[in-house]
Amino acid sequence: MTDARPDTLTILVVRSGGFAGLSREWRVRSDDHPEVDWARLVEACPWDAVSPPDHSRDQFIWRIEAHAPVKRRRATLPDSRVRGAWRSLVDQVKAVNAKPSTER
Amino acid sequence: MTHGIVPPYLLARIAELDDERFAVAAEAARRALRHEAPFRAARLSFSLDESDNLVVEVGAGPNRTIADAGHLEELPGTVVRSEGDEPTGDDAVDEAYDGLGATFALFAEVYQRNSIDGAGHPLDATVHFGTQYDNAFWNGERMVFGDGDGEIFRRFTASPSVIGHELTHGITQYTAALEYQGQSGALNESISDVFGALVEQYSLDQTVDEATWLIGEGLFTDEVEGSALRSLKAPGTAYDDDVLGKDPQPGTFADYVETEDDNGGVHINSGIPNRAFYLVAEALGGNAWERAGQIWYDTLSLPLDPKSTFAEFAEATLSAAVTRYGESSPEAAAVRAGWTGVGVEMSSDDGRAA
Repeated sequence: MTDARPDTLTILVVRSGGFAGLSREWRVRSDDHPEVDWARLVEACPWDAVSPPDHSRDQFIWRIEAHAPVKRRRATLPDSRVRGAWRSLVDQVKAVNAKPSTER
Repeated sequence: MTHGIVPPYLLARIAELDDERFAVAAEAARRALRHEAPFRAARLSFSLDESDNLVVEVGAGPNRTIADAGHLEELPGTVVRSEGDEPTGDDAVDEAYDGLGATFALFAEVYQRNSIDGAGHPLDATVHFGTQYDNAFWNGERMVFGDGDGEIFRRFTASPSVIGHELTHGITQYTAALEYQGQSGALNESISDVFGALVEQYSLDQTVDEATWLIGEGLFTDEVEGSALRSLKAPGTAYDDDVLGKDPQPGTFADYVETEDDNGGVHINSGIPNRAFYLVAEALGGNAWERAGQIWYDTLSLPLDPKSTFAEFAEATLSAAVTRYGESSPEAAAVRAGWTGVGVEMSSDDGRAA
């Protein structure tokens, strides 16, 4: 656990690319779902790890952002890297969104 | 000329035929089996020469292996069908196998290219990837196909254009190596759409006028208002649906979409070079894989900058057309008009279209 847990956290998950090139977006405000320990989920992710370029094509691309009053974090990663802590965060954000907030 | 892919067991049987009537075929099969790296399967082409003699040509065949991920997101999965095996009865497995065969056939028979790397690279695919997985992709080594969610997407092997698209990513990786970002990324995508469409047209023997020019026809369920994912002929018209919205592809460079997602909109802006190819093919008429496709295929082997812009790629296609058909040829004129038709000006001054 971190001592610097922010009061409110907004988490944005955008999945783009894929063969179809369709984007989907999920968003959550921590206040709206206090039953989840969002700060712990966010802190567990390797935000500074860089995804090396590879030869994969048509993979989903995930943009994940966590906005707190004092800190904004953001990472872009291919579908194959959405594992472990990233997967836990993404799955939780999707789970509290009964429906995606935007589909296009 | 008739082409056919002969599986290994049949090749061995043909090679052993001791019957004068089949002497030519038997010798061709023996040649295939004696080849330096023996063919897993061979392509035999049968034709008659001017004296009505049977001419049998032998070439390398594909080396396909289909694996089943069992709905996990783990690769490669369990091998369920190898080259020469009978159909399994699993639609995704058999569609992947047949689609890879159709794609191999286009490149081998029309452009004399032996697989992804030109040297018989195995064609490996995984089906049933993930749960309700709405995608198909190339991971740098193999093609991977999800089953779709059943509500918006059906299984991604249902369209040969999708399989041709993915295999072509492998060919681009071994040739032009266009970076998957921005304009060069949209060109990389477009090349996959172009040859994906040509795989379908070649296997169905459709002319420019007969073809649908659609990518991913039949992937959407009946719930979706749309015929396919993309249209090379009319970018932006493939679907218009309450949930999905409207096909966002532009067909002219003036409408190029700047976005940070999707590697800079590679699946959106590919509509521009896609339509340029269609215009070239339409102007030339007949079978699109012959002249228009040949020019695009030749372009892949030119020394392209991996970060090529649309204008730079356009110049390369013109160079390929001039080299093969001549400066004043109808083919070169069609290429010039095709790019002009989508607002991409060939100018080496700034490397960027007007």
